[in-house]
Amino acid sequence: MAIQLQQVSYTYSERSLWRQTALHGIDFELPQGTMVGIAGATGSGKSTLLQLLNGILRPTQGTVSVLDITLRAGEKAPKLLPLRRRVGLVFQFPEQQMFAETVEKDLCFGPLNFGMSPDEARERACRAMLDMGLDLALLERNPFRLSGGQMRKAAIASVLAADPEIVVLDEPTASLDPVSRKELIGLLTRLCRERGRTVIIVTHRMDELLPYADRWVILDQGRSVFQGSVRELAADPSLLTRCGLAVPDSLRYWRAVADRLGLEDEEPRLTPEGLAELIVSRESGSSGRVGEKGTGHE
Amino acid sequence: MCRGKAVVPAGLAKRGPAMNDRLLLGRSIETGSWVHKLDPRSKLIGMLLYVAAILLSRSWPAMALLAVFSVVVAVSTRIPLQYYLKAAKPLRYLMLFIFIVQLLTVKEGAALLTIGSFSLHEAGLRLGAFAVIRTFLLVAFTALLTFTTTPARLNQGLEGILSPLRFIGFSPGRFTLMVSLALRFIPTILDEVQIVLKAQASRGADLSELPFKEKGRMLVTLLVPVIAGAFRRAQDLVYSMEARGFRMDAPRSRYHRLRWGWADTFFIAMFIMLGIAAAIL
Repeated sequence: MAIQLQQVSYTYSERSLWRQTALHGIDFELPQGTMVGIAGATGSGKSTLLQLLNGILRPTQGTVSVLDITLRAGEKAPKLLPLRRRVGLVFQFPEQQMFAETVEKDLCFGPLNFGMSPDEARERACRAMLDMGLDLALLERNPFRLSGGQMRKAAIASVLAADPEIVVLDEPTASLDPVSRKELIGLLTRLCRERGRTVIIVTHRMDELLPYADRWVILDQGRSVFQGSVRELAADPSLLTRCGLAVPDSLRYWRAVADRLGLEDEEPRLTPEGLAELIVSRESGSSGRVGEKGTGHE
Repeated sequence: MCRGKAVVPAGLAKRGPAMNDRLLLGRSIETGSWVHKLDPRSKLIGMLLYVAAILLSRSWPAMALLAVFSVVVAVSTRIPLQYYLKAAKPLRYLMLFIFIVQLLTVKEGAALLTIGSFSLHEAGLRLGAFAVIRTFLLVAFTALLTFTTTPARLNQGLEGILSPLRFIGFSPGRFTLMVSLALRFIPTILDEVQIVLKAQASRGADLSELPFKEKGRMLVTLLVPVIAGAFRRAQDLVYSMEARGFRMDAPRSRYHRLRWGWADTFFIAMFIMLGIAAAIL
């Protein structure tokens, strides 16, 4: 297991009048090399959960095990440097993540701290920039002079530059244009599928991640209310509505088509192409159903 | 409400968001007591009178009177007393320092202890103790002002008190805006520090894990991004105020009006009497 949480709770400002419990008794296990989506309404504890995964926050109750490092509430934490080398966290707001005077320094910060030589760090930084589709000329710029989208990409690059085994991203596609969003999801999918990285993504746009994620975790008011495969999620999307989330279009379409055609144990088709293919294949099989083609898409 | 049932790892209490908990400055705690409902002007004047009373008291009975008065008023706010203690806690080393300096430098009264040419005197001990009690009472008790008054109300009170100065060309509105922005920025800058610390920690530079020398270097590297961040926020603040039509010195209506009541007069009278009693004792 790459990540294992047992009865984890987190309370902000625990010893004061302003205490606020963000997570209540979360349990889950995420196997290595999977792509995981985390969704939940605003304030459901998603960002808190992510910050527990690389030791930025420590559980106030329960146990967080990431790779071979265990953080137990109430115990002195072990050295966290190895954990941070292996788990890269992309914060929710790029402006809260970039702090150096130039993009290059920011990108090299992680690799240098994790013991790489300056040359190697610079090379990694360049590679990460190119991976994120950024011009190398931007390396000399001040991160705060970049556009919103460029800054977002640079922030992600700064984490990818250290090449962590587990990549954790907090709403990475916010403030990106549609093309970049697709590219980013593609890049993360390749990281996961080709290089065996575990990728955990918090998102408000479930649609763009649904075709790629292996597992989903749904949070509602600090509790985990769903954990499982896309298939299980597709079986009962009304769960999302109960948690204050909109049911993604792809799931709605799939549900409509599956209910109409009476599909039970089929793998959900969550891309327009996949869905179209399915409908066409059903139709060529039984030409009598032609009239239903249009009604599948409400 | 807050009494320590909670178990926090020692490491956690010193870091992360917990850092802001220790900063009680400018945080009001609503309990709805009579002090909360007072006019902010009377509380401000009351605190000034309290400072005067502290400066006027020069004897043990006066100290005792101050202490009893402070505790009674603090209890009447229905805020747990430990919050007042916490407010004075950051100054504990300063108080210790004052005590030691007084103890070592005042050479009056009977000698208590003599080692060679070095001696400790009764007056030194007494004045040292007074200085500590005064500092403690001053800091702990005046925290009442910020505990029972929201920053906005406090500002309004300050503006009210300063309004007579308008006749000499002074703009109370401008002044209080400046003060409120400055106060508002204290938590903002602390947040900014936390943000940069978090960002650095998550990429392998955890302040608490670095050797001492590195720590110093890291703290210096923190300065630039934090100050840059504060300026950015200030700029954003200006834009957002202007976007909502704020103009300096333009006449504005208010949500809360200042209203002086009998309780306010009583509150002030209490402090005047305290001052007189402290001076006499």
